[in-house]
Amino acid sequence: MIPGKYRSVSGRATNNVNCGLHLVIQTSSLPEKNKVEFKLHKETPSFPGRLLQHDLERNYSSRQGDHINLVSSSMPSFPILQRSSEEKILYSDRLTLERQKLTVCPIIDGEEHLRLLNFQHNFITRIQNISNLQRLIFLDLYDNQIEEISGLSTLRSLRVLLLGKNRIKKISNLENLKSLDVLDLHGNQISKIENVSHLCDLRVLNLARNLLSHVDNLNGLDSLTELNLRHNQITFVRDVDNLPCLQRLFLSFNNISTFESVCCLADSTSLSDITFDGNPIAQESWYKHTILQNMMQLRQLDMKRITEEERRMASVIAKKEEEKKRESQKQSLLKEKKRLTINNVARKWDLQQHRVTSIAANQDRKDSDSPSQDPGQVDGSTISAFPEETGSLDSALGNALQGLSVTDTHLVEVDGDTLSLYGSGALESLDRNWSVQTAGMVTTVSFTFIEFDEIVQVLPKLKIKFPNSLHLKFKETNLVMLQQFNALAQLRRIDQLTIDPQGNPVVSFTLWKYYVLFRLSHFSMQKINGTEVTQNDMIMAERLFGILAHVASSELPQYRLISILGDARKKQFRYLLETKGKKPGIVSEENNDSKRLVGENTNRATLNYTTRDFYNEKLEEIKEKKKFCKMYIEDLVKEATEINMKNEALQKLWPQMFIELVRDAVIEIRNKSSYMKLCLQQITDQK
Amino acid sequence: MATERAGTWLPEAGKLELGSCCGPRMLSPERLALTDYEYLAQRHVLTYMEDAVCQLLENKEDISQYGIARFFTEYFNSVCQGTHVLFREFSFIQATPHNRASFLRAFWRCFRTVGKNGDLLTMKEYHCLLQLLCPDFPLELTQKAARIVLMDDAMDCLMSFSDFLFAFQIQFYYSEFLESVAAIYQDLLSGRNPNTVIVPTSSSGQHRQRPALGEASMLEGVEASLFYQCLENLCDRHKYSCPPPALVKEVLSNVQRLTFYGFLVALSKHHGINQALGALPDKGDLMHDPAMDEELERLVVRSRLHRTSRQHRAQEPGTFGFHRRDKLEALERVPSASAPTPSPYRWEPRE
Repeated sequence: MIPGKYRSVSGRATNNVNCGLHLVIQTSSLPEKNKVEFKLHKETPSFPGRLLQHDLERNYSSRQGDHINLVSSSMPSFPILQRSSEEKILYSDRLTLERQKLTVCPIIDGEEHLRLLNFQHNFITRIQNISNLQRLIFLDLYDNQIEEISGLSTLRSLRVLLLGKNRIKKISNLENLKSLDVLDLHGNQISKIENVSHLCDLRVLNLARNLLSHVDNLNGLDSLTELNLRHNQITFVRDVDNLPCLQRLFLSFNNISTFESVCCLADSTSLSDITFDGNPIAQESWYKHTILQNMMQLRQLDMKRITEEERRMASVIAKKEEEKKRESQKQSLLKEKKRLTINNVARKWDLQQHRVTSIAANQDRKDSDSPSQDPGQVDGSTISAFPEETGSLDSALGNALQGLSVTDTHLVEVDGDTLSLYGSGALESLDRNWSVQTAGMVTTVSFTFIEFDEIVQVLPKLKIKFPNSLHLKFKETNLVMLQQFNALAQLRRIDQLTIDPQGNPVVSFTLWKYYVLFRLSHFSMQKINGTEVTQNDMIMAERLFGILAHVASSELPQYRLISILGDARKKQFRYLLETKGKKPGIVSEENNDSKRLVGENTNRATLNYTTRDFYNEKLEEIKEKKKFCKMYIEDLVKEATEINMKNEALQKLWPQMFIELVRDAVIEIRNKSSYMKLCLQQITDQK
Repeated sequence: MATERAGTWLPEAGKLELGSCCGPRMLSPERLALTDYEYLAQRHVLTYMEDAVCQLLENKEDISQYGIARFFTEYFNSVCQGTHVLFREFSFIQATPHNRASFLRAFWRCFRTVGKNGDLLTMKEYHCLLQLLCPDFPLELTQKAARIVLMDDAMDCLMSFSDFLFAFQIQFYYSEFLESVAAIYQDLLSGRNPNTVIVPTSSSGQHRQRPALGEASMLEGVEASLFYQCLENLCDRHKYSCPPPALVKEVLSNVQRLTFYGFLVALSKHHGINQALGALPDKGDLMHDPAMDEELERLVVRSRLHRTSRQHRAQEPGTFGFHRRDKLEALERVPSASAPTPSPYRWEPRE
């Protein structure tokens, strides 16, 4: 029975050879018999370079197989192997038992000189009966059913151990194999690299197609030049920098997705050849140049020779990357600064508003430590950098975040089409020379932590500098009265208005939206606080406040009308005087504009807003005038009453006086002849 | 129609410069005891003369263009019509009873629509509306008025327009009087004899008051009759305007005891006092102003046209004559409104 089986097996083996073995040895293996022999004899086996994914020729073994006889031993379980003496002479140091359907290792007798033993393609489940072959150098147990490494402890001279395609779960029992040169454990179920640190002569380790989830425990493998880890589930690699001789590392088809998880590779000085194909990392756009940049010693990547050109490209890209990183770092630094500044501004604002409760104060104090050292820094860096920043404002238009000037009391930021101003100091930025392009792009202006009254004063500037601003946002601006909205009427155009309820109590009013719509009706606003304005809203606004406008425009005495409108005009005039000479072109345009403004809505132009300070100033002025008027009127009235009194007194006296006068006259002319004589006498005297 | 409206509310001659309490005195011989200057001052003629000159100074250039005589005519016309207080400073608005009444009326006219719409507003919002007409209107007054409505607690509560308006009227028009009343009330409450008040029953009243104080929580406020005696006395010598004593008596005669705010509420709800004051219509007619409603309808229609025409304009620029005409219209209307009213004063400033 055995011979038949044996024959058929050998026949099949020949067939197999003829059709070419489909088995793939993943890592370096023994390519040709001659070479192996040579190596074994010289005892300095040098395995040729990389031997990846190529079919292994096993011609020699199949040839040998034909001359072997297996004889059932007297013992029930183990067959005893015997060879003919001529065969022994021919192949004195080798024995090939390939494809013999062996389920156990046979007892090999009288072959103590054997140096090479081949059990490929059998069904062996356990390594045994070979402990007497102490001169064995090469043991091939490829494609068996071995579940545990064992029975090798006496084979001290073993140099090549091939255990590929078995069922091994654990690397163990290799303690005595100190001169092991090649260890092939591919195609097993190993989940961990262990018990190998003593193999200081090991040069090739094949752990492809196992269940490794990571690579570490590689200390002590001081001669390892090739490590094959293809087709595992490796997510990270460590300890590779502890392998002083490692040249080739195959990590294809694993689960590596970041460079950080394999960054120890960058520290290996000997590594010249590496593969990452089939890993998520290889799909990344930065993959190639990152690897090349970090591993200057590399000569091949994914089986391709690295050219000088590629290296140069990689370094260029890496440099760019670096710059980008630095830029983004700078941006985040700026962002941080911005955040701190805003915090700072907010705190100042709160103090100003007397809204700091004791709890908030405590919290703030904690925070304030970091920003408090910050202002100096921020001041120094940004103020000095300021002019160039303005200059580069346009060039950096592509960036989402354009220019940023930070000081500790305020913040100005242009982000796309939005100009954001934090803190009252930021209003001064409107005096800056904004480039036409930037100014034209800004359509949204947002004010935060600024008194509305201060904003009012710069509205004319805003109108000139940012002619396209359509959307105004107010947050923490102390909008408390409806009449404050009057101030916005002087702008050129507003499509959208956003009043954040935070710090703007006016928003809590029921009527504020209608009042805005009514007072700014000439803008035909589209949205208020993000809500679309409907025709009904407009009508409602008119219904609520139309009478006010009507009363204001039609019932106001003309001198008042002139005075109120005049104030608005005067204010503009004052501003014009300030800007005159700087921008004559714009001034003339502004002139037209103000005229149009006055014409546009006299109906409600009388409803204007003067800031507190200005108003108080005016009141002072009025007081002065009143004082004067009071005195003036007092004098006048006193004089008039005096005259009146005199007049009355005269009136009282007059009748008596008249009577007296008449009486005197009558008495004088009573004696007619003497009176005539007297008269004649007077006439003659005159002549 | 502006004239028409002016006609419907021409304050009676006596009320122009006089507080209602001074009315009967006009014909009394007391008048002859005053010097001319004192008389003018008492009738607030001086106030208006001063203000007129002040206004003239304010806008010298503009006014000299259209004539000083014209200016004075207009000024005193607007004083008669009550439009002179629009957008003026608070010190002027409260300067005379007539100004106060004019302001109350202006407030009512301008914001009647808010009440008509049924909106309930907070004290702060009413204050904002007041500030639309008088930018420096003090918050304190509005607060006091709100306190009458809300009874001192929950100052953030919403109030109806009419409640606020009538309370505000009392508070604003009689503010000095109410201050004195508050002092008297406090004196009475603490059992002290209100200074200067000589009441025949004072000793016994005082006696009765004391034990009552012990159980003050049960018997809130002061005794009405005693309170009235004090008030009557106050009205006699008070130089600011006070409500007609007869009406005060009527208010106080209905109850045994009352608190200060109870008194204010009663005052604000008393339509006789409202009539005597003459600035606002009766509560029932508060939302009623047909002439203005008519005007408002026209405005609404026009704003609708306005909006559509504006949208047109946005598409095809270059046609904004519309708004200029608007302005001319407004300017034309003002003199035409005041011109037909005969000017009751002739005043030639000295050179």
